[in-house]
Amino acid sequence: MRLPGSGNVDHGLRRRILVYGVAVGLGLFVLLGRIWYLQIQRGEEFSAKSSGNFIKEIRVPADRGMILDRRGVRLVDNRPSWDVYVTPAFCGDCEEVLGRLAAYLALDAEERMRLDEQVRKARGLQRFQPILVRLDLDRDQLDVIEANRDSLPGVDVVSTPHRDYLYGTLAAHMIGYLGEANAEELERFRKAGLSVMLGDYVGKTGVERRFEAQLRGRDGIQRVVTDARGQRIPGLEGLIPRSERFVPSVPGHNVVLSIDARLQEAVEEIFDVPAGAVVVMEVNTGYVLAIASRPTFDPNRMTGRISREELRAISEDPLRPMLFRPVQSHYHPGSIYKVIASLAAFEHGFAGEVHCGGGYTLGRRRWRCHKESGHGWVSPEEALQVSCDTWYYAAADRIGIDALADMARRFGLGAPTGLDLGWEVPGIVPSVEYYEKNARGGYMRGYALNTVIGQGDNNVTPLQMAVVYSAIANGGTIYRPQVVRRIERPEGYVVQEFLPEVRGKLDVPKAHLDRVRKGLEMVVESPGGTAYAHRLPGRRTAGKTGTAQVVRIGTVRQKVEEMDFFTRDHAWFAAYGPADDPEVAVVVLNEHGGSGSRAAAPYAMKILERYYQIVEEDRAGPPTPERAEIPPRAAPRSAPRPAPVDEGAASG
Amino acid sequence: MNLGPPVPTRTIWRRAPWGLILVALLLAAVGIVNLASASRTADASLWISQLVWIGGAFAAVLLLLSVDYERLYQLAWPFWGLVVLLLVLVEVRGDVAMGAQRWLALGPIRLQPSELAKLAVILVLARIYEDDGERPQGYGLLDLWKPALVVGIPAGLTLVQPDLGTAVLIIAVAGTMVLVAKVRAGAVTVLGASGIAAGVLGWLFVLREYQKKRVLAFLDPEADILGSGYHANQSMIAVGSGRWAGKGWGQGTQTQLSFLPEQHTDFVFSVFAEEWGFRGAALLLATYAAICFMGLKIAAQARDRHGAFLAVGAVALIFWHTLVNIGMVTGLLPVVGVTLPFMSYGRSSGLTTVLAIGILANVGARRRTT
Repeated sequence: MRLPGSGNVDHGLRRRILVYGVAVGLGLFVLLGRIWYLQIQRGEEFSAKSSGNFIKEIRVPADRGMILDRRGVRLVDNRPSWDVYVTPAFCGDCEEVLGRLAAYLALDAEERMRLDEQVRKARGLQRFQPILVRLDLDRDQLDVIEANRDSLPGVDVVSTPHRDYLYGTLAAHMIGYLGEANAEELERFRKAGLSVMLGDYVGKTGVERRFEAQLRGRDGIQRVVTDARGQRIPGLEGLIPRSERFVPSVPGHNVVLSIDARLQEAVEEIFDVPAGAVVVMEVNTGYVLAIASRPTFDPNRMTGRISREELRAISEDPLRPMLFRPVQSHYHPGSIYKVIASLAAFEHGFAGEVHCGGGYTLGRRRWRCHKESGHGWVSPEEALQVSCDTWYYAAADRIGIDALADMARRFGLGAPTGLDLGWEVPGIVPSVEYYEKNARGGYMRGYALNTVIGQGDNNVTPLQMAVVYSAIANGGTIYRPQVVRRIERPEGYVVQEFLPEVRGKLDVPKAHLDRVRKGLEMVVESPGGTAYAHRLPGRRTAGKTGTAQVVRIGTVRQKVEEMDFFTRDHAWFAAYGPADDPEVAVVVLNEHGGSGSRAAAPYAMKILERYYQIVEEDRAGPPTPERAEIPPRAAPRSAPRPAPVDEGAASG
Repeated sequence: MNLGPPVPTRTIWRRAPWGLILVALLLAAVGIVNLASASRTADASLWISQLVWIGGAFAAVLLLLSVDYERLYQLAWPFWGLVVLLLVLVEVRGDVAMGAQRWLALGPIRLQPSELAKLAVILVLARIYEDDGERPQGYGLLDLWKPALVVGIPAGLTLVQPDLGTAVLIIAVAGTMVLVAKVRAGAVTVLGASGIAAGVLGWLFVLREYQKKRVLAFLDPEADILGSGYHANQSMIAVGSGRWAGKGWGQGTQTQLSFLPEQHTDFVFSVFAEEWGFRGAALLLATYAAICFMGLKIAAQARDRHGAFLAVGAVALIFWHTLVNIGMVTGLLPVVGVTLPFMSYGRSSGLTTVLAIGILANVGARRRTT
């Protein structure tokens, strides 16, 4: 028990209580200092962090620019893609909901299994992650889903802008297609200052790729208030300053092509072959009016709507549909090379008649002319007209391979044309040096004879030949081929204009060119010319047929139909028209099509015919909206702009 | 001890430290207003339940003013024994909440015996130092075996729940009382050194993984913002973004958009600091200071050593809770589960706080008048 008086609070205890009081005061003062430090010293920083917590930035994707033809006809646009998602957290009896969806959308068993699996596997927060059911509903499916909204809890239809290639395969290789950006592209575009994020679609080929920066536009930002779970909280927008709530997106620029959709359409229709290429180019500007590659593909499917099987089929197709043949594949030019040989021969003083007895003998070998009975005495013009090989053997043997190579290089062969739509093969210009380096046994005289008729290792691209024939037509100017005329803002303001670009001059006497042009005209317009059968009424055309051997054939010539497809000759026709005042060059390559006069010239002449028709149409008056449209699917929402005023320059 | 003639109840009521009681009531009211904002997203009725509970506790404590705190002298050991029993019980068959066994269901009341342990330790130590009387030369190391046992048993039992925060609190409160009772300088040094050693050993052998993570997160809260540093980091953002004037009641984005964890219990101060700013937080601290100083004044004027140590213990309880809690919320101390008196939601801690005020009021009402 306690002793009385033992518990008095004495002086010492009171002093220690006071000391403790001081300690308490100090402790609380430290807290005050800490709070001052956080709220006053670093207040601004933490305010920013706090805003960063609750402000979520939602991307407002920019509209990708359109791709228009030279007259403003819309070739590529954007459309909404209606995509269906299901969110496991909200669908209640998910199995039943999926069952209904499967019925409405006609999902196959495999798809159904995949969805069931995905829904079953979703756990925790993952259950709030929408699962893609189907991309791109068609109208009917959309209607069914909308009508049955109430019985489809957790099912959402989301609209995202999707690229729309209005004419499907039209000029597909040149226009290109989109695909999800890969790591390398993300890196490259980010360095270029573009707002590209994982999962974004970017141009993979063609104009879509080359003008990604211009087409892309700048994404906008919408800032919303979200809670810690990322759930958007409506009604709290006041927490974000008004000016920061919404930054509108800037739509991408439109790309106006030099392509004329009417002519391109005609080319696609006329040139109905398994494999090959067509280029139609203005001879006085280098603008490409039409460019086609066979076989082709549908960019609408390539752009995120293609199954793995279809993709594999494309990549295993021996005809390689993705190859942009006008620039990405080279071929023996065959006889269409002879214009270059003629000019080289003239330059070296070989311009007289040659007697063709069906071939030319060099050493112990005989080089055959395609006409075994021989052409008799042949002038340089006639040599072109009838494509006499013997004249050229003689010329080549005289002037040598390096003279040919020099002229070929002056025409731009052996190097990319500068079309600037992704990779381009340079072709091969054989020379002494070339054979010394590449042939066993080094250079031999006979190589010049192979080269002069567009065989041997002589290789060109169809676009290169379009440049060559344009230069012959325009008097010797090498233009850079271009497919884009200008870049515009959506409202029409021209951001960038692509003017004709001269890459070089041939520097040959006019007289030489005139003789070549005369010969080319005789090919089409004089009886006996290799394309005489296909001449156009009322218009004079100059051109040259070519039949390029793919494999060395035996002594007996086979009929085309009897040969395996891949061993058949390539059929060429290179032309320009009108012959007296050239406007346009046409090059047709019918891969493994057989003879140039039968399997290439007819297509080229039909294309030229359509070209003249279009020129007539335009001359008759400015295009009305109806006429500017092309029948199948074009539906311009605004009136197309009138034809460019500088059209006259094209013919001058 | 000479209690003298019994003091009439009316005198007791007149002499009661009304200043302290009013400030405490004011603080409790601020706490409830703050809780109403903090719990808007979770459970809007929390503040009502807190109001009823705290109000009831205050009423009970005031009604018991007429009962002399001398009763606590007799109750000390039995109460301590009961608490230890409960702590053992909770270890055997307690409810698990937040990964620790802290709760004991006694009929409708869910109890946290560890909260009561703080009170038990205060009662027992006050009795011991009443019995011992003043020792002018102070306590040596070996003299401390009794308080060591009294504190060590409940603190150890609390630590194994595991509830590091409350264990630290029990030791801090008891340590304060022991120091006020005077300990020799040499002993303090040895204790400090062994404290550090215990800390190292505790880190190596006692602390659980999550507790270590918290301590590490405290040392560098920004290292793992989404993981263990999340609490400290978000709470610092809340406090800091309150700046001078605060975002206004119910307007704290950290609070209302659920970025703050445990915003109505352990982290309730960050809600207050975010919404009321530095102005409000400084005033709040001043209020805690006022309560502590008034409590210590009561201790100094106490009728006997028993009352003085009860008062010192009560002040130490409130002070250490405040210091550790706000220190943790502002990133000065590691995150340990310690509530803020009058502000945090919670029945056990609310009751403990009000009981501490009740003890102060009781001791104050019977202070020496000469």
